[in-house]
Amino acid sequence: MCLWLNFEKNCVATLGICTNKTSSILTTEAVNRPFLYPVSKTCFRSRTSARVKMKRSKGGGDEEAPRHNGSAGRRKADQQQSDGDEGGSDIGPADLQDDDNDQGLRREIRSKYRDLISSVQQNREDMLSPSNNKLTEVLEEANKLFKDVRQAREAALDAQLLVVATDLGKEKASQLFSEGTAFDPTAFAEHLLSFMGLNRLEDDEDEQQNTANGYLPQDAWHRLARRAECCFRTAPSFHYMMGSFYAEPPPPKQRIERQRKAPSKEAKRIMPTQLKKMEESQQEATEKEVERILGYLKSYYQDDPTSPISYYEFVIDPSSFSRTVENIFHTSFLIRDGLARMYLDEEKLPCIAPVEEGEVEAGGSTSRKQCILSISPKIWKELIDAFDIKDSIIRPPNTQND
Amino acid sequence: MTFGDSLPFMRCVAMTQRKRPSSTQSSSQRRHTGNLVAQDEDDDATFTQPSTSQVQRGLEKLTPAQVDQKTAEVVQYFLVKDQKKMPVRRADLVKHVVKDYRNIYPEILKRAARTFDQVFGLKLVEIDPKNKMYILVNNLETPDKASPVRSPSNPKMGLLLAILSVIFMKGGVVRENLIWNTLRKLRVDPGEKHEEFGDVRKMVTDEFVRQRYLEYVRIPHTEPIEHEFRWGQRADAEVSKAKILEFMGELHEQDPKTWTQQYRQAHSLPNSSQASTSSSSQR
Repeated sequence: MCLWLNFEKNCVATLGICTNKTSSILTTEAVNRPFLYPVSKTCFRSRTSARVKMKRSKGGGDEEAPRHNGSAGRRKADQQQSDGDEGGSDIGPADLQDDDNDQGLRREIRSKYRDLISSVQQNREDMLSPSNNKLTEVLEEANKLFKDVRQAREAALDAQLLVVATDLGKEKASQLFSEGTAFDPTAFAEHLLSFMGLNRLEDDEDEQQNTANGYLPQDAWHRLARRAECCFRTAPSFHYMMGSFYAEPPPPKQRIERQRKAPSKEAKRIMPTQLKKMEESQQEATEKEVERILGYLKSYYQDDPTSPISYYEFVIDPSSFSRTVENIFHTSFLIRDGLARMYLDEEKLPCIAPVEEGEVEAGGSTSRKQCILSISPKIWKELIDAFDIKDSIIRPPNTQND
Repeated sequence: MTFGDSLPFMRCVAMTQRKRPSSTQSSSQRRHTGNLVAQDEDDDATFTQPSTSQVQRGLEKLTPAQVDQKTAEVVQYFLVKDQKKMPVRRADLVKHVVKDYRNIYPEILKRAARTFDQVFGLKLVEIDPKNKMYILVNNLETPDKASPVRSPSNPKMGLLLAILSVIFMKGGVVRENLIWNTLRKLRVDPGEKHEEFGDVRKMVTDEFVRQRYLEYVRIPHTEPIEHEFRWGQRADAEVSKAKILEFMGELHEQDPKTWTQQYRQAHSLPNSSQASTSSSSQR
């Protein structure tokens, strides 16, 4: 609270009470009531001036408000000089008019007040810094101006200046009051910039804070965001792996369909010319392959109808994983069409055997069972080792000697 | 004519000012959620919390599969809404998802909260008991250092961290000019379009406020109109003050304890207790 006592040294008595009020307001209220201050200060101020005027009219000259007495003293002198008719202690209307009529002076005072107000508002951060006394200087300047204040308009500007100044004063006071280190947002910003990887240029000329030296890297804010992840307990956002979820109906789909239609038409056009070059379509190739495998199965079975054919030995090609997969694929057609059947032997290993004609009706009443086979290169190798498969039963199509 | 006269005046001014904050807060909330709340206010007003016996009766009429299905729908609704970090209003939830099952609404919400906890490691938090708003918060422990996994980070979170730090270190409320000036020092000018953030002013005063990370409240009696920033309800639930203080300590190369007031504030309450969990509180 020494802040107040400093700038109003000659008004200690008058401001003493106001100080008590402001300090009690500071401690009891939350620190967010700037508007309380102006109310108390302006009403205080207008009351003192009213009080002084009343007292003067009564004839007394009090020492209670020395500042106002300064102006009162000057007035008394003016009175004696200019207006000998009026009583010495009365403020006659004529006396007021002389000063009031000086419109130039009024305007000057008002404009000076406005300058002071804007300087406080513009340089707020500067004045907040505890290292200077700029606020005190502003208030001393206001004191000087107030001596010449006569009309309500100027007093209102003075009150406005006080609003702004007391607000700043309150913040400065709270800086003093707070235990521990004060927090300076400017320093914080500087540290943050360094953290984000600011590359400061080597110019020693631009040492002022205002000029922006250096440039921030591209990922500056990402660095800070990553550090923020440690402080935030944000729930990770849910997204479909296949793409994000849009609530709006998807108009782009139509465009995609149109695009798809175009190539297919072209493909159809190309197809007929290509067909001459291709011997078979893919479907026929599969059927041929399936028949060929059936042939292998039957011949193998007829060699020894009693011994069961291990499924794995049948389909696996020890030299090629991809051909093994093809074999499994084609064999599945045999089973689907009821031309072969799979069963488990005593050791619960899968075996395959061709279906005798007439044994089972194709698509018959027997319940069809399905299973899904999966094989990976690792499993394929393990099977080769386990069953000791040296040769493939199903010869690869290229080496076929038909 | 004495100074004593001014005392009662100041006192009653102080009294009226003291009452203001709650009304400004709710009016600002009403303003922010204004348009969206208007249509659903009727729905929420007519939605009365069913009693436990009503819930029991409702449950008896439905199969477990139906209840599970509805719970799953609520869970999915929350997860999608959480993508944009917008809070979920009870009125919306009842109107769009729960619909006919509103008589067992408390049970559904309880199950959804359990699913979030056990399946996703998330916590369903009620951030606004008056307006019945919910958010999802991570229930798992935050890592001490940045995650080694290089997942894409959102730069907005960096800006938010800067703003929240300033507000916290300055006692919980700051005038908006302080934030704008600090941002300018960080090469982010609210008046210009930023290459990374776009319209910064809108992002800070609109998006972050709607997400409930910040509160942007008008200060009465200011001319020209000024606002102040505070932590929002989501920030209270999600952000650890202690960790922020730790970060400050790193930046300034000081012991966090040197900021005694902030240290006390950060370590007095368990951090996410300010927003109550939904499973026990009234819905």
